[in-house]
Amino acid sequence: MKLTFGDDVEAFRQEFLAWLADNRPTAEEMAADPAVSSAHVPEWASRWTRRLFDAGWLVPGWPPERGGRNAGPVEVLVYLEALSRAGVPRTTNPQGLGIVAPSILDYGTDAQIKDYALAVLHGEKAACLGMSEPGAGSDLASLSTRAVLDGDQFVINGQKVWTSGANYADFCFLFCRTDPDAPKHKGISVILVDMNTPGITVRPLAEIVKPEHPDLNEVFFSDVVVPRENLVGKMNDGWAMANGSLAHERGMVWLNFVMHMEQDVASLLAQAPAALARMEAPERAVVADGLVESIIDATAARCLGYRGFAKLVRGGSAPEQALMKAFCSEAQRRITLRSAEMSADHTVDIGVTPASDPTWIERYFTSYGGTISAGSSEIQRNIIAEKVLGLPR
Amino acid sequence: MDLELSEEESELRDNVRAVLAGVCPPAVVRAVYEGKGDAAPVWARMVELYWPALAIAEDHGGLGLGFVEVALVAEELGRAVVPSPFLATVTQFAPVVRELDAANGLLDRVAAGEVTGTVALAERGSWELSAVTATAEESAEGWVLQGTKSAVLDGAEADEVLVVARGAEGLGVFVVPRPALAITPRTVVDPTSPLADVVLDGVVVPPDRVLAAPGTTGVAEALERAGQEATVALAAATVGACRVIFEQTVEYAKVREQYGRPIGSFQALKHRMADMYLAVERAQSLCYFAALTIAEDDPRRAEAASMAKAAAGECQRLVVQDGLQLHGGIGMTWEHDLHFLLKRAIAGDALYGNAVHHRSRLAQMLGLVA
Repeated sequence: MKLTFGDDVEAFRQEFLAWLADNRPTAEEMAADPAVSSAHVPEWASRWTRRLFDAGWLVPGWPPERGGRNAGPVEVLVYLEALSRAGVPRTTNPQGLGIVAPSILDYGTDAQIKDYALAVLHGEKAACLGMSEPGAGSDLASLSTRAVLDGDQFVINGQKVWTSGANYADFCFLFCRTDPDAPKHKGISVILVDMNTPGITVRPLAEIVKPEHPDLNEVFFSDVVVPRENLVGKMNDGWAMANGSLAHERGMVWLNFVMHMEQDVASLLAQAPAALARMEAPERAVVADGLVESIIDATAARCLGYRGFAKLVRGGSAPEQALMKAFCSEAQRRITLRSAEMSADHTVDIGVTPASDPTWIERYFTSYGGTISAGSSEIQRNIIAEKVLGLPR
Repeated sequence: MDLELSEEESELRDNVRAVLAGVCPPAVVRAVYEGKGDAAPVWARMVELYWPALAIAEDHGGLGLGFVEVALVAEELGRAVVPSPFLATVTQFAPVVRELDAANGLLDRVAAGEVTGTVALAERGSWELSAVTATAEESAEGWVLQGTKSAVLDGAEADEVLVVARGAEGLGVFVVPRPALAITPRTVVDPTSPLADVVLDGVVVPPDRVLAAPGTTGVAEALERAGQEATVALAAATVGACRVIFEQTVEYAKVREQYGRPIGSFQALKHRMADMYLAVERAQSLCYFAALTIAEDDPRRAEAASMAKAAAGECQRLVVQDGLQLHGGIGMTWEHDLHFLLKRAIAGDALYGNAVHHRSRLAQMLGLVA
């Protein structure tokens, strides 16, 4: 065990920081044209993505032929930290970069790689992920959106829901049922569907905090015709890809959570003295203890994350991903409540902004995205119990 | 930051675990609990293997390793509920000697396994230096100590007792042989962590046994620093006990059947065991971090030590509650070994400041409360 990384990792960090200083989008650029959905790629973001890719900095952990530099997990961690501390988004299409592009690279044809995966990695196209359905959330095997092969084309009918960024995406990485007679998880395929295809209706789902900037959508498919060559991988082999896709997603979740928690805690601490000074002693002690809990949580989250990473570096597996996801998202939710606790009239004034720019109520409700999406906290506990602790189903 | 054990660290941990499994099986713990056993052979084996010498500098006959190694041993001692003078001698007594007067020969004797020791610091349940009211007054024969110390770990067993007392010029530390003190062993929850109250009824300490006279610069800093080692070692030992409770609970839930199914298949219980797992991992991660800040002399060590102790205490509460509950009736029996671990975990939280105490320390360190 060591508190610091080796010299080679430090050198890697310095190399990236130097490049970042010369190439980063400015705060003014980003503020003038903010991304309003998780598949919205403003012009500056498109150019930024391409610059990252060309320099081998978009996905540094990948091999050079995929636009990376074979960086190890610790280097990737250092790189993500540097971006986060600099306040620069790595991408404005996280599911495209983190799940869809790598899945196409793993399973797709040369043409699919060129037209879809590389287009995402070049900042030219944005992707959305069509998994959840009204009857199939965490239980993906229950999905019922049908794709019927008719000659050289699929005809797709059905409905997706909670599709992040579908209102801005260029294409969808769509999970659909191609063999209704096979056992549930054996009849699923993945098809690339251009979002401009006739028969697709996107209905944004206004959210409780940002009704004017909906990110989640319902997507309806009515006799949508897609060429057969848009099938990714083998027919009826989508289940393998689903597991791969979710692993991609869970693998990168923890550091984002940790960085956000640390930023929020630092912000809370900066504002605590003034807020606490307004309180009577008994109340102050209770609120201070809540802050202490959140500081311990944030420190513990980073330490837990580093332990999992150290296991990966040593060539093992890190089964703690589910643990990190459940712990960090719930701790984040507690942290947002500390903002409210620090303000005198917290429960009625939605304009209170003690922790950072968005109001506490917005941050609080948004934090539920962490404990619900990508497998709820309850699902994560089942995964921990069954996959990590080996408890019977 | 690398928070997984290196090859050497894993090897040390595995060796320690194997040795303890051989020399201190549950039967030995039970014998100590029931007042029939003698744990002396356990300590003799530890001395043979140079465990007391681990982190003592080579100049003093030690192995010159660091605090990470000490913390790993401490965790294993908690896992096996080992009755031994290790925690008091190696993580309480020796660090104070090292910080204040390493040259007086005591470290060499600890390293050689010739002497055991402890620190009499706490008064009326507080481990804060500010709570020390015991007095030290200089006389013709030496320093005269007055006052009462509470909850001295191994207070009735250690060869040497370091007494912290306040003189006119500030805090001082004195080395008092145990027979010179009026000692009352306490009846404790965990007999493998024996505590005693110590009355300093005018005990006279000759000049050659003054580790740091009141007014010596840096006494408080040295005690704080040594206290961090004691705190993290206790946290690690507590996490060790908690992890075994958790592991045994999971194993029990896999085999214990009700309504024709293993109880571990019920979601309500699965989620509780997932939460136990989180509590153990959270506390252990903070212990490793704190041990590293001490080993590498990082300025975050005071905060990290309190975080580790607070997390270990919180972990203890959850794991004891759910571990006992999930074991059902069998866990309530004296015959089952579970209660040794439960009591060790509870004692580990209470000593050197419990979770509440260390959370309030953190609030102070962060300037949140006065």
